[in-house]
Amino acid sequence: MMRMRGANWGRKYKVQNYQNGHAYLTSHRVCYVAAEDPRKYSVAIDLKELDRVESQAGFLKSSPKLTIYPKPQKKKPENPRSATASPAVSHQLSLHSTESLAHSSQPNLPQTSASPKPINATWICPICTFSNPVPSNFDPATASAATHLPPCLACGIKPPFTTVLKAAISTATSREPPLPTSAPSPAQAQDIVQSNSSWSVGPGGSTPCPRCTFVNHPSLAECEICGAPLAGGSSGSANRVDSPAPLFEQSHIANTEVSESIKLSFRAGGDKTFYERLKGALVQRKWLLQNAPPVPSPSQASSSPGLSSAVSVESPQPSVQRPTGVGIAGLERRGLEARKKNELVIGNSFEDLEALMASAKQIVALAETLARESGMTTSEGSAETSAVLSESAAALGMVTTKDMLSSGSETLYLSELARDLAEFLTDDRKGILQREGGIMSLIDLWAVFNRSRNGVELASPSDFQKAAELWEKLKLPVRLRRFKSGLLVVQRYDWSDEKTIGKLQDWIGELRRVPPDDPVPWDWSLFGQAITAQEAAHRFKWSVGVAAEELEMAEDKGVLCREEGIEGLRFWYNYMSLSPDSDDFSRLTI
Amino acid sequence: MTAPFQFPPTYNFPPFFTPQPNTNTRHSQLQKWSSLIQSWCRHHRQYRISLIEAVETPLFHNAALRKRLDLREARAVVDWMSKSEEEGGGGRRAEWINESGKAMAWIWWKRPEEWADILVDWVEGTGQRGSVLTVYELIQGDMTMSQEFHGMDTDVMLRSLNILVKRGKAQIFGAEGQEGVKFF
Repeated sequence: MMRMRGANWGRKYKVQNYQNGHAYLTSHRVCYVAAEDPRKYSVAIDLKELDRVESQAGFLKSSPKLTIYPKPQKKKPENPRSATASPAVSHQLSLHSTESLAHSSQPNLPQTSASPKPINATWICPICTFSNPVPSNFDPATASAATHLPPCLACGIKPPFTTVLKAAISTATSREPPLPTSAPSPAQAQDIVQSNSSWSVGPGGSTPCPRCTFVNHPSLAECEICGAPLAGGSSGSANRVDSPAPLFEQSHIANTEVSESIKLSFRAGGDKTFYERLKGALVQRKWLLQNAPPVPSPSQASSSPGLSSAVSVESPQPSVQRPTGVGIAGLERRGLEARKKNELVIGNSFEDLEALMASAKQIVALAETLARESGMTTSEGSAETSAVLSESAAALGMVTTKDMLSSGSETLYLSELARDLAEFLTDDRKGILQREGGIMSLIDLWAVFNRSRNGVELASPSDFQKAAELWEKLKLPVRLRRFKSGLLVVQRYDWSDEKTIGKLQDWIGELRRVPPDDPVPWDWSLFGQAITAQEAAHRFKWSVGVAAEELEMAEDKGVLCREEGIEGLRFWYNYMSLSPDSDDFSRLTI
Repeated sequence: MTAPFQFPPTYNFPPFFTPQPNTNTRHSQLQKWSSLIQSWCRHHRQYRISLIEAVETPLFHNAALRKRLDLREARAVVDWMSKSEEEGGGGRRAEWINESGKAMAWIWWKRPEEWADILVDWVEGTGQRGSVLTVYELIQGDMTMSQEFHGMDTDVMLRSLNILVKRGKAQIFGAEGQEGVKFF
């Protein structure tokens, strides 16, 4: 988005109230926001409506300008042929005044294409003198002798090209505005228009034809006799404020159907950047990918009459009256609006993420091709390619993600994930494994690991397990171990059951030396005390699940035995099989 | 009978009352239970136990620890005892009186063969070979007061004597309930 001061909205004349503001460029629109009263005097045009943009450097006191040409309208309401239900005279007047502004082509500029619709023009057939309309697609600027011309409607003879061209040009020039300060225009045209204005308010509202002087019914757009367009005179030259531009109501801007160009004057600079960006935006055509957010309707529609959303060149949308929300319905609607807005914002931000991801894929693809081109044949070197690729990915500081790599390199993803995990586990700064007493369940690790990825690019459980199974193959300093119950745990490679049992036995020995806090019905110096998984977890900083598994492992080895009671499962030193058989009565005989 | 039964130390070991999942531990647990039951029965001169009654006795119920061996577990122990050592059992130290009901069991703190040997030893030691004794005399007679088989269960005595008959060392005669035995 660009910010700059000063924008002209209009063609030749400075438009009142649009003289000081900021111009914004978005991916979908060019906007002008007035510095004062922006709710009222702000306009926008969709980029998809733009035909081309021209830049004009500043010269002396003239500020640099950007001229924006919208695409020609397909249908024009004031086209006499299409206007079957012609509007009221007053409306027509306003329309024509707008049109006169819009069509105010500069005579010293050769771009006659700016008025590409000489539809009101007629040419006189040299054979039968019937006045035929110039075809609507006839453009004097581009037309040549090869252009297809329709034959005379009366006699069917094709007209010579020059006749039509002359007629078109003369009509185009005759439509120039009859303003005193404008470039000298043919007096004849002025006369016509002036006579128009004088006739425009005819007696009884009827309209005299400017060509054959037949007085037509006011609702007609064309002369009944000769077919000439009945133009209401341009009456908008009465009041001028600070610029010799016609003063017109805001609603006229809203109805500017035929605004042929928009000029932005950059009084405070920034034109070059804006021009470059605008050109770039027109090339990128982002609006094709995504619908533009709706034009925000001003919150108080009543205070800005006629300038809701209709200033853009597209057909004027009726400003949707914002229904006044009362009660629960109003609250619900407001909630709906807020949700829509949130969706939009979230959608936009994820678009950026996806773009980033797409470029990551490209980088990986590039690395792959580079590796291939550097002499490695694909047959023998897929593993090498993977290695190179993983190295380059590591060099880029990227955490391995599944999306980054194509689906074909599953093994690469898994081995990278395995390495990531091993690094993550053995990192002394984090001390994950130490904090867990040197052993933790795979599920806990999975949770911690995914949490550390901040919720993006999470590793799936199955990938996680597969990666963990690769540790041994990759000779990483961590190992996956499966307990008897199927619980998977992660531990250091030098961890062993004997170490665990040694620790447990030390602990139990301690308990046999220290009398218990409460008197117990058994001989504590002989049996010691029971230990639970919770106590073991607390003592060795294991998780409870791991502690339970380790205790059962020790039981499995015959070191411990269990006691199931109302307190739950408790473990004891295996007095039954490890103590001397002092109480074996079976061999005693009398 | 006057001296209270001396429980082995394991009796106060809480895990003793929980079936152990480890095979080795379980084996020694069963062995300890077996010897406990045998010594308990010998102390009380019991030759058979009814499990339903026994689970309420201190044998299977440690009131101090508030631990007990429930009926199912006690049955499992006796089952184990009834099997021979070759079958992975406790050397036929028990025998179900009614195999299907598994409510009453002989506890063989001495097996009938062992009793037979003791009887033969006693007969020879007292020079009564060739004489005729009634079963009642053997069990309740004044002569056997000092012997271990004094006050023995009649059924056990008859089983032991039948073993001697098979060995050809004795002969049983007389009506049921008034059997006489002649030792050779």
